[in-house]
Parts: sequence; structure tokens; C-alpha cells
Amino acid sequence: MIEAFILQASSYASQIDALIWMIIVITGVWFFAAEGVFFWLIWRFRARPGGAPARYVDDPEEHALKYKWIEIPHRLILVCDVALIIGAITVWSDIKLSMPATDETVRITAQQWAWTFQHVGPDGQMDTEDDIVSIDEMHIQVGKAYKYELMAKDVLHSFSVPVFRLKQDAIPGRVITGWFKPTLVGEFDVQCAEICGIGHGIMPARLYVETPEAHAAWLASPTHYLAYQF
Amino acid sequence: MTAARSMTLALSLSTLAGCATELPAAGVARGEVLYQNCSQCHGDDGYGSTLVHAPAIAGLPKWYLEAQLTNFQIGWRGAHADDVEGLKMRPMSRTIKSAADVMVVSEYVAGMPAKKSESTLHGDVAKGQAAYAVCSACHGVDGKGNEAMKAPPLTQAQDWYIVKQLGKFKGGVRGYEPKNAAAATMKDISGGIADEAAMRDLAAYIQTLPL
Ligand code: HEC
Ligand code: HEC
Ligand SMILES: [Cu+2]
Repeated sequence: MIEAFILQASSYASQIDALIWMIIVITGVWFFAAEGVFFWLIWRFRARPGGAPARYVDDPEEHALKYKWIEIPHRLILVCDVALIIGAITVWSDIKLSMPATDETVRITAQQWAWTFQHVGPDGQMDTEDDIVSIDEMHIQVGKAYKYELMAKDVLHSFSVPVFRLKQDAIPGRVITGWFKPTLVGEFDVQCAEICGIGHGIMPARLYVETPEAHAAWLASPTHYLAYQF
Repeated sequence: MTAARSMTLALSLSTLAGCATELPAAGVARGEVLYQNCSQCHGDDGYGSTLVHAPAIAGLPKWYLEAQLTNFQIGWRGAHADDVEGLKMRPMSRTIKSAADVMVVSEYVAGMPAKKSESTLHGDVAKGQAAYAVCSACHGVDGKGNEAMKAPPLTQAQDWYIVKQLGKFKGGVRGYEPKNAAAATMKDISGGIADEAAMRDLAAYIQTLPL
């Protein structure tokens, strides 16, 4: 359902979506149950001619009611909470805490208001002569696992790739590492997801996930900046 | 497009329609509205801002403004990883959405009165004057530029901006695109300037030239 709005283009996108669904279902069921009871009570105990006003009395019958309406749902909600926490921690540790073996590194630098991507060149090594640096466009190969090193030159930015379900803040003075593995060939959006000044809203980049052949062709004759089309 | 996506699109479009402002069809009035995207950095009067390293652009000729805005848009300027200021100007140039509007806003800026800026770097005017002989071939003895050579006037420029641009040309951070012949020429010339001190001297002399 979520992928009808936005494609799943990384190996972990479906995990994030499953977690979001779990949250929607659990909180949704409780939301409608609670609202239902709420409106039912308003209706059930509405003002009527001759009705007796409600009074709080401390008697055994009241205790039984309290148990039924408060304690039981409360405990059920705690069980749901535990389920959510287990789900969230599992996904978090798979995606953010663990660093699987990767095939290649890409260095991402954010600044007001541009993204700079340093790709390893044909030699596969970072920081060598043949590295390809490009502005606002990232070229990667489908099916390869990438390690990214994310930096910011000036203020906070956030590297957000919605189709990857990836969003990671960039912090000046720190190199933040993480990973992704693209699974779909195509052209996707990158956007800055942390207010970073007047140009924040116009700080997009383009992500090209390419077949091995197309990627090899790009490596052979790289583009460095996106031509602008009106 | 799936039903879900077209629904999202329809929703966001209707929200946008609610906040669109009236943009005059053409002329100075339209230029004035378009310039509202620029005044944040270049100032209401177009004199620039030392704080954000935005140059004075008021009164620059229309042909030069158009060329630079287009260069920023297509990546011929300001798309180098080491061009901190250029990378800020680049997305701003893309807020002007059509070639026609590039002309309109350029005309507006060209119509703003230029002003001399204050000296901040205090280079050696005499040394600068001697070195400027090379530059006068294109920028003119009076520093008023030469459209045929695509060389802009320099008399309104802040000294720090001149030094910064000369450094960028020399370092290949501006003029990196061979197809951009004008900037590539200026890049070659900048190779002959010895160091930053020489750039400061040049800027000091250029500042003495009247508007
Ligand atoms: C966020 C600040 C900012 C905004 C907004 C901005 N600019 Fe700039 N502009 C700059 C900076 C910084 C430079 C200097 C770039 C460099 O050092 O190469 C610049 C350079 C320029 C230049 C080149 C001047 C020269 O002498 O070569 C022109 C022309 C220009 N801007 C026009 C505009 C116009 C028109 C707008 C509005 C659409 C605009 N700018 C909006 C920051 C800004
Ligand atoms: C062969 C012609 C030529 C000569 C000689 C020349 N310039 Fe230029 N200069 C240009 C051109 C063309 C441009 C515009 C570049 C562009 O379109 O980006 C330029 C741009 C500049 C700029 C940037 C102006 C701005 O508003 O951004 C400065 C500063 C500058 N020149 C200074 C000098 C100095 C100082 C010298 C002498 C050492 C010099 N130039 C010699 C052709 C020349
Ligand atoms: Cu940002």
C-alpha cells in the first residue's frame, strides 16, 4: 500500500514499510476503539429529563467497572507497546546499528545548498586520481551494497532518499557512516530534510540507480552537474 | 499514475492554488516581484552583502546579468565542489523559471543605480595600477567593461569580491567548463596573477576607478 505512493528501491525499504504498517494497525485499532467508546459514552449518558446526575461513589461495583474499562485495556496496550518496541529495535539494528559487508563507498557532502557526491572511479578506490566528484547527482549501480560517509560543511542538513526509506542527519565536524543497497533501476529524488537556511527548500539532488552497463558507461564519461531544464 | 498518486497530486495542487500571488505579466513590475527572491542576499538596492559574500549587482549590464544567471542555471558557474558561494547562488538562479524571466529580472537589476563600495582590504594602489594594464584590454582602461569581449564592468565590485573571483578563476573553481569560453579566457588570464597580495593590489586600484 505504501509502495503505491512511493516505490521501494532499497533492500531495507520493505522492512521500514512493514514497521510503519505495524504502527498504523496497532495505534489505529486502539484509536478507533477509544474514540468509539468515548462517543458511545457521550450518547449513552446524555442529559435526559428525569435522569439522575452521576456521582462518584467508592463501592465494590465501581471497582469492578474500573477493572473492566481501565485495567484490562491498559495491560493490552502494554503488550502492544512491547510488540512495537521489539519491531522497532529489530529494524533499527538491521539498518542503522549493523554495517554489512559493502562493495563500494560513496562520500556525500552537504552544504548550503548543494550535495556533493564523491564516487570511486573505475579503480574502485576512494581518494584516488580517478574519483568522480559531482554536484547534485549521485550515480550508483543496482544490486551493489554501498557504504556512505556523510558530512556537512556548514550547518545541519539531512540526507533523505524517500524511495530508499533512508533519512540521515549530516552534522558539521562529524563523518556519519551507514549503508544502502539499491534494488530498482531508475531516477529518484534526494532532498534535504533538515532546515538549513533560505535555500533549504531548493536543495534537491537526483539519484541515478543504473544497470552495470549504464554505470560503466557513466564511469567512462561522467557528468558533473545536472543541466537545467526550464 | 495510480489513483493514490493522482489524489495526492490533486490535493497538493489545490493547496498551492490557494497561496499563489499575482505576478505581473511583464516589465519592471514583474522584475521587481522576481527580484524579491534575490534581495535577501543582494539587498533591496542590489549593493550585495559582505556577510553572505553576495556581490553588488546593481547597474551591471543586462547582457552580463543574463549570461551569469544562465551560467549558474546550467552549471557553467557555481557547480564546482569547492565553490562555496557559487553553490549558494546556483539554486537561487533556478528560482527564475524561464529564459524570458531571466531577461526580465536582468533588466530590472540593470536598471538599479550602481554605487561605489568601501575599501576593506587596503591593497597597494600603485602596484595594482601597473598590473591592471593587462586587464584593460578587455575590461577597459576605465574598468567599464566591454560587451564585445564579454568582459563585465568592475568599478562597482567590492574589493573582497574581486579578490575572491580572481582566486576562483586561478584555482579553476570558476571557468572550469571549457564550453564557457568567456570564463575560460578569464581563467587563463588569472594564471598570470602571482598571488593573493597581487589580487588585493588589483582590487585596490579597480576601486579607485569611478563608476
Ligand atoms: C542566498 C543568497 C543569494 C540569493 C538569494 C541570490 N544570490 Fe546571487 N549571488 C550570491 C552569491 C554568494 C554570489 C557570488 C557567487 C560567487 O562568489 O561566485 C552571487 C552572485 C550573483 C551574480 C553574479 C554577479 C557577478 O558579478 O558575476 C548575479 C548576476 C546574481 N547573483 C544574481 C542574483 C539574482 C538575480 C538573484 C535572485 C533570483 C540572486 N542572485 C539571489 C548569493 C545569492
Ligand atoms: C581576455 C579578456 C580579459 C582580460 C585580459 C581580463 N579579463 Fe577579467 N573577465 C573577462 C571575461 C570575459 C569575464 C567574464 C567571465 C564570465 O563570464 O564568467 C571576466 C570576469 C572578471 C571578473 C569577475 C567579475 C564579476 O563580476 O564576477 C573579475 C574580477 C575580473 N575579470 C578581473 C580581471 C582582472 C583583474 C584582470 C587583469 C589581471 C582581467 N580580469 C583581465 C575577460 C578578461
Ligand atoms: Cu540542507
